[in-house]
Amino acid sequence: MTVLIGVVQALFLVLAAPLLKGIVGRLKARFQKRQGASIWRPYSDLLKLFRKDDLVPPTASWVFRAAPRIVFAVIVSAVAFIPVIQSSALVGHKGDFILFVYLLAIGRFFLMLGAMDGGSAFGGMGASRDALVSTLAEGPLLLAFVAVSIVAHSPTISGIVQWTLGQNFFDISAVHILAFTTLGIVALAEAGRMPVDNPATHLELTMIHEGMVLEFSGPSLALIEWANAIRLNVLLALLIALFAPWGMAAEITWGGLGLALGAYLVKLLVLAVFVAVIESSVAKLRMYLVPDFLGVATALSILAVIFTMIAKR
Amino acid sequence: MTVWQATFWTFLALLGVAVPLTQLGGKSKTVRALSTFLLLLGTLAGLSVASRCLWQGIPVNIELPSVASFPVSLTIDRLSALFFFLICSVSLPVVIFSTSYIAHHYEAGRARWMWALLSLFVLSMAVVVTSSTGFAFLVGWELMTLVSSGLILIEGDAKDRIDNVFIYLLMMHGGAAAVVASFFLYWPSAHGLEFTSIRSASANLSAGVRTAIFLLTFVGFGTKAGIIPFHLWLPRAHPIAPSPVSALMSGVMLKTAVYAFVRFGFDFLGGGPSWWGYLVLTAGAVSGLLGILFALQENDLKRMLAYSSIENVGIIYLGLGTALLFLAHGSPKWAALALVAALLHSLNHAFFKSLLFLGAGAISDGSHRLSQDELGGLQKRMPMTGVAILIGCCSIAGLPLFNGFVGEWLLFRSFLAGPNLASAQAQVVLPLLVGVLALIGGLSLACFVKAYGVVFLGRPRTEQAENAREVSWSMRGALIALAAICLGVGLFPAVLLAPVSHLANRLVGGFPPTEEMQFFAVMPWMGAVILVIGSLTLLASHRKRVTATWGCGLPSLTSRMQYTATTFSKPLRMVFARVYKADRKIEILPEDQPYSPESVSYRSVRTTSFERAFYRPAVERVVGLAHWLRLMQTGNIQVYLLYIFLTLVALLVFLRFQR
Repeated sequence: MTVLIGVVQALFLVLAAPLLKGIVGRLKARFQKRQGASIWRPYSDLLKLFRKDDLVPPTASWVFRAAPRIVFAVIVSAVAFIPVIQSSALVGHKGDFILFVYLLAIGRFFLMLGAMDGGSAFGGMGASRDALVSTLAEGPLLLAFVAVSIVAHSPTISGIVQWTLGQNFFDISAVHILAFTTLGIVALAEAGRMPVDNPATHLELTMIHEGMVLEFSGPSLALIEWANAIRLNVLLALLIALFAPWGMAAEITWGGLGLALGAYLVKLLVLAVFVAVIESSVAKLRMYLVPDFLGVATALSILAVIFTMIAKR
Repeated sequence: MTVWQATFWTFLALLGVAVPLTQLGGKSKTVRALSTFLLLLGTLAGLSVASRCLWQGIPVNIELPSVASFPVSLTIDRLSALFFFLICSVSLPVVIFSTSYIAHHYEAGRARWMWALLSLFVLSMAVVVTSSTGFAFLVGWELMTLVSSGLILIEGDAKDRIDNVFIYLLMMHGGAAAVVASFFLYWPSAHGLEFTSIRSASANLSAGVRTAIFLLTFVGFGTKAGIIPFHLWLPRAHPIAPSPVSALMSGVMLKTAVYAFVRFGFDFLGGGPSWWGYLVLTAGAVSGLLGILFALQENDLKRMLAYSSIENVGIIYLGLGTALLFLAHGSPKWAALALVAALLHSLNHAFFKSLLFLGAGAISDGSHRLSQDELGGLQKRMPMTGVAILIGCCSIAGLPLFNGFVGEWLLFRSFLAGPNLASAQAQVVLPLLVGVLALIGGLSLACFVKAYGVVFLGRPRTEQAENAREVSWSMRGALIALAAICLGVGLFPAVLLAPVSHLANRLVGGFPPTEEMQFFAVMPWMGAVILVIGSLTLLASHRKRVTATWGCGLPSLTSRMQYTATTFSKPLRMVFARVYKADRKIEILPEDQPYSPESVSYRSVRTTSFERAFYRPAVERVVGLAHWLRLMQTGNIQVYLLYIFLTLVALLVFLRFQR
């Protein structure tokens, strides 16, 4: 039964990802006094793209077509680490957060390679900028995990969630506040959202992720876009699981699971509103201010690790 | 004599015979083929005896005749077996690769020397890791340095090459002096240089002598391992060697220094106070970070790989330092975990680094270019080489499913164990090192995305790259074999984990916690899931159409519009500008017309801050001292006789008061 729920929550993270993207888009539109597209719009976009031809540049090698597929496969397998409605996940106890973070790195590695295989200027440009952002984001991401895992005495994501479930919300320590802020900043950077990257831009001065995917079309583009949506969903789910897992089903009953799902959706909606507010109110940072932004995250994560000394007592 | 002793003798004999045989044969092809065959056979014999000692843990010992009262004997215990295994398993593909590489690149005379020195090089490294007396160790150590510099000089004797070899030899001898001194510090208490007597004497040494020995070995072996700030020779010597030799130097020779450091620090001294650990950790962190930062900005493929060797040695030293720290605080099981991480990373680095260096050789063979900015689009032209190098790049970037991740993961886990220690310092420092290792990992990912992407993907940037062709089968075979090892170890690391854990147990007296080892069970499943989902997505996209890349309305894109290696690393170069301190020189000609110049040239020269702050002043001081000493050297024989007379008087006076 636990495994079955594990499969269901993994499928949920994969299949609901475009919906989350649609909801964030709709919320953004409302904040900007626009009507906005339907929240189901990303699904029809994906369907449309899947029906089209895969256009491949004549100079490109097999890497160009393999890259989107690897990116998608890797993010889908990373989903198996994240608890959603129960505290365990498919590989929640078997793999630790280090493996999870490095799995995400495989996707990034191949997306950059695919971008460079296009043979135009934009792919290399996007890859070069993504290398900057992801390199600097890796440290704070892992350090925030380290801080939380030291407090929870467990290196696995499920283990941390189980520990947090046993705590009182009001007892939460400074370590968690610092780590949450760090992971929030890193999640925005990793998912390519404002203020690090503007997902709606096609201006060569500003684009990072869009620069990398510019040469892709049809099913390849669909897989990349879907993978990107899943990545945002996974990162938000991770924030919820690590810092606000309360409501997750302790034992498996229909009522408990329903309640857990409801609580999860409310928390997800809050985060979606948060993302939409940031995207509508903050300007994109200049490229060379991004290191400072991530530097703040790094400093916070270092503080978080140092504070574990006090929190443990 | 047991069968395994005989096998070990066979290894030594075959490699030894191969050396003169290459010279005796003259132009005869049969003799040359025979000597190569003997070399291969010898390496296989070595591999079998090393594997047996590593997995079964039964030592093999052979006695050689003493040289002038110095006993010479070779013993393969488990620690030696691991590194002997490393030497043989990397040498085998390197020799296969060399068969066609040497034939393509050198005329018969040089090829003969190349083969002779190559066998001798492998033999000397094997002697270093298996010797169980100080004398044999030092002979092997010195031979290894000399033979490798000979191999560098085979390529030519231009002035800058000789200068680089000179720097290499100078630093190696400085290091060797420290090593010899550390052996001699044992002499008073051990009464000999057999490893067994050294080991038993270590326990009774005073703290001061132990510290002196540790520091001497840290400097001596650190110079060979290429840790910063003793790394100056490495990016000079490695890239100018022939590619198979670079593969051996970076993949294997650096590891002999790691071996020797482990032998002294753990086997002989058995750890020490916690500051030893912090010293090694600092060296590791600095080497790791600076090594990869320099590699990132290097466009010459082989120099980039040389700098990345510094980074990987840094990671290995992080593991060794963590192990020393845990040992100092009395938790051997976590020390064992960190030691396993360091030893496994040594082995894995040998595999992927030799793969990449051989790959660089294949690239230069196929396209006659080594600068990343002159290459591009090679994946379509050299498909098999490309796949092998892609696997190498994934491994070195530390991606899961590839072997580079195994050691780094264990190292991360041992950092996470830091809070279990009683010392408040270690509780904070070790977890924070996770951030350092993560930054190193992120930078190496960027570095090797750049390398593979610029060289193998996109459009060819020069005619040579356009006309590149796939290399011969023996080269491809060697690359594919190494790539298969990288992938195999990445998916099933348990094969190596078991013997290395036993080795760690022998060195620090504790097994690594079993639950830390079980995490690897998830790897093959992860690989299978990614493979299945990846192939499923292929079903959804069966129609493919080849069409030109959109050129923003221009008639067509040219290769000059692509990002180059230099532009790719520009953002990171700007962020880490303080580290690089580039000297930019812009020349505008003619000088009196700055606004309508005929030519503008731009040059960016990087001298590392170490060179500027550390080495140059030292060299200047030595030269200054030499000038001053020259006053004594008049060239007049009477003056020298006076010196001798004065020395004699001084000694007599000394003896008088001694009594």
